[in-house]
Amino acid sequence: MRRPVSLYGLTFSLPLLIWQLLFFVFPLVFLVALSFWTVRNFRLEAGFDTVNWVTMFGRPVFWQAYATTLAMAAGAAALTSALAFPCAYAIAFKLSPAARRWAVFLMVIPFFTSYLVRVYSWQVFLSDVGIINVMLGWIGLGPFRLLNTIGATMLGYMTLGFPLVVLLQLFSLVFVDRTLIEAAHNMRCGRLRTVFAVVIPSARVGLVIAALFSFILCFGDFVSPIYLGGGDPTTLSILITDTTKSGQQWPRAAVIALTMIATLMVVAFLAVRFAYKGRTK
Amino acid sequence: MQEPLVSFEGVAKRFGSYVAVQKMDLQIHKGEFLAIMGSSGCGKTTTLRMLAGLEAPSEGVIRLAGQAINDLPSWSRDTPMVWQSLALFPFLNVIENVEFALKMRGIGRAERRRRAEQWLERMQIAEFADRNIAQLSGGQRQRVALARSLVVEPEILLLDEPLSALDAALKVRMQSVLKNLQRETGITFVYVTHSQSEAFSMADRVVIMSRGKIEQIGTPQEIYRTPRTRFVADFLGSSNIFPGQLTRDAGGRAAIATPSGDFVLAGGGQGATPGQAASLIVLDTKMQIHFQPPPDAVNTIEARMIGEEFIGATATIYFETGAGQEIRVQKSHEELADLPLAVGRSFHLSWSPADGHLVPE
Amino acid sequence: MNEQNELNRNPLIDAALKLYVILAYLFVFAPILASFVFSFNSDRFPSIPLGHFSTEWYRAVAADPLVWEGLRNTLGVGAAVGMISTALGFGAAYTDYRYRFFGKQVYLALALLPPTIPVVIMGLAMLAYLSRIDLSGNALSVIIAHVVICAPFAMAVIRLRLSQMDPSLEPAAWNLGASEWATMRHVIIPFTRPAILGALFITMAVSFDEFAIAWFVSGLNETLPVKVLGFLQGQVSPRINAIGTFVFVTSMTLVILAQLLLSGRGPATDKE
Repeated sequence: MRRPVSLYGLTFSLPLLIWQLLFFVFPLVFLVALSFWTVRNFRLEAGFDTVNWVTMFGRPVFWQAYATTLAMAAGAAALTSALAFPCAYAIAFKLSPAARRWAVFLMVIPFFTSYLVRVYSWQVFLSDVGIINVMLGWIGLGPFRLLNTIGATMLGYMTLGFPLVVLLQLFSLVFVDRTLIEAAHNMRCGRLRTVFAVVIPSARVGLVIAALFSFILCFGDFVSPIYLGGGDPTTLSILITDTTKSGQQWPRAAVIALTMIATLMVVAFLAVRFAYKGRTK
Repeated sequence: MQEPLVSFEGVAKRFGSYVAVQKMDLQIHKGEFLAIMGSSGCGKTTTLRMLAGLEAPSEGVIRLAGQAINDLPSWSRDTPMVWQSLALFPFLNVIENVEFALKMRGIGRAERRRRAEQWLERMQIAEFADRNIAQLSGGQRQRVALARSLVVEPEILLLDEPLSALDAALKVRMQSVLKNLQRETGITFVYVTHSQSEAFSMADRVVIMSRGKIEQIGTPQEIYRTPRTRFVADFLGSSNIFPGQLTRDAGGRAAIATPSGDFVLAGGGQGATPGQAASLIVLDTKMQIHFQPPPDAVNTIEARMIGEEFIGATATIYFETGAGQEIRVQKSHEELADLPLAVGRSFHLSWSPADGHLVPE
Repeated sequence: MNEQNELNRNPLIDAALKLYVILAYLFVFAPILASFVFSFNSDRFPSIPLGHFSTEWYRAVAADPLVWEGLRNTLGVGAAVGMISTALGFGAAYTDYRYRFFGKQVYLALALLPPTIPVVIMGLAMLAYLSRIDLSGNALSVIIAHVVICAPFAMAVIRLRLSQMDPSLEPAAWNLGASEWATMRHVIIPFTRPAILGALFITMAVSFDEFAIAWFVSGLNETLPVKVLGFLQGQVSPRINAIGTFVFVTSMTLVILAQLLLSGRGPATDKE
């Protein structure tokens, strides 16, 4: 007999609900409250003052960082998606099932290595006396400045997002009905055209979601911009850490954080709507 | 008559605005093999699940041995079920599966092992006692599922399309296993199926359901010979259905006017009033085929042959009347031997008024 | 699929695509392999040509008492996070499997969203909130924060296993006389056991991974967010390679264990 509320059912559903309310929702809600508090003599004072919002939104440096972060995360999402797609496509359509299983397994490994360690490792490749410049030196080139550039930050973003994007794209491609592709060939749709006319539209939801995840990860990342980008240009995440450090300006950091969350929600909403546009489900 | 083992009294089940089972009354007698048959979505499985306590009736009372069981949770009823998917526990071996119900009833290890072994023996699968479920064939799993449900020696066993996953040959063999088991144990079987052959070959009584409503209850013979509603006749597929209007023929006999002609009814048309809409039902085996117009037949139609189908010893010939009505006739090969059958050729079909009966429109 | 019609394939394109896949994996594994190689390299500023083979960074790490304390803390936190996350995740997965109720979408969003919130923001919010309710500054706060992030992973793993379960299995147990609690114990838990253990190891690995680096490097008994913020301002040394390699090996051991359990040997995964 299925009664919606029973001691038995609540035993299983309530603990997670309570935990996430207490330690996920409440902290975020507290962040909202915090953004209206003030700092006097390096001490937080509770209250309701819009000064932090006015101050932060009035600063060109904030909007600069905002535009930079948005552009870089969007760029990273587009770049990662574009570079990951041929890889996911080849794994989905060109490899044997056994090879595909291995490919998936290998792509999961990066999730269990520290992102920080991997970024540090890129420093070894990119620094002025790093592996790449040494190799270029052998053929009489360089040294080039590779570290502390936007390109290096992008490389870091790709390190962060690439494996996840490949996996998500792969999972949507695997579920593309093979007969659709054969039908397209049958109707004289060429190879490349089939990819754009049949495969990509069929896998659209997964591809968009993959790009969205890449965007989310990069938008909030602080490791690559600092360690590979050298902290310049300033991203919102760097701004948060700086603001927290300088004079305990937690309320202002909260303003930045909330702006970021709002942005992420809008982007996620638009992306999901775009992904499911024209679908009944 | 003795008190029924199970009775549904005005039982209905709704899921939101969807009516799965309309107010229904049904008695199930002790020791009978009852089949509930219908196409998917007709409410047959919901009926069974209400009896097992897996769905709560929206209204009405279900009684088991006279006692209302509406509020009894599933685990407090002795209504074991054999599932369509069999639902054997994959993490338990064969004998542990069979012991499960006994363990839940707090029966000691030695006793439950003994009783489980007995049932494995009886189902002729004792040698597989320690096997994993995944290592068994379809038929063997079926036997495990039966043993698992029967080990508590219930008064009633519910079966939800248990044979649907088997291939045709195994299905037939399991049908006789089930029928014999039911006869030997005397346990009441309630068997839900969409297959006419399963229901008719095993059941003592058949319930035919459609859209949450019981259309007819009766022995297989009764239902086969005299489908009570148009739906049943359609569903069984072996009847010719002539929709029309009741009337009197020139001789004052009760008759039905159909687009394919007027046909005389037996027994004065069972008290039907002229002008009423009704359908005449004639079994396909009761139709006669003639190449020349039969001189003495009462009900005849001229129809063009449009196809034939051979199944085993019998053949089904399909005809079409001038009015576009399709008619099927089933005959043995011997009966057809003298006829110059050919698609496109016209024949005369006839039947005796006693072989037709009316159903309300 | 490679059993596809050979006629429609161009071997040149196929070869190019396969080469691309190899390059992609090189990109993904270059930093991981480099970290591994340089952890055994003697140079203070790693590059090529390689210095000589050395375990000096491992010895340096091993000689640091703070590292050992960090290891103990990390393992303790990891174990606690694994168990709590798995228990909460199991409950949520079962709730999603079994019940329909008003507001389920919100419930699932709460259960699954936390990993999508950027670490910086979560760290900031957590730190501010936990210090407010006097929970900051100890291992407990780290456990709390990690469970928020890890429980969704546990839920996903266990939910996946539940979706492989014949939906009749649970009612079949009730039908055979097992109460809901007995069914939980004798049917649901045995069936999901591989996923439960898998979730335990995976959440431990995630926690270990997130936590270990920060703790090892700064070595101070601070909360995770503070440490991450602090660490970012600090200097790193090749020791991070040694620690990273150690963490990697440990995490991968846990993950492979989880994988073995999930892909299931023996009767636990029935194809029916």
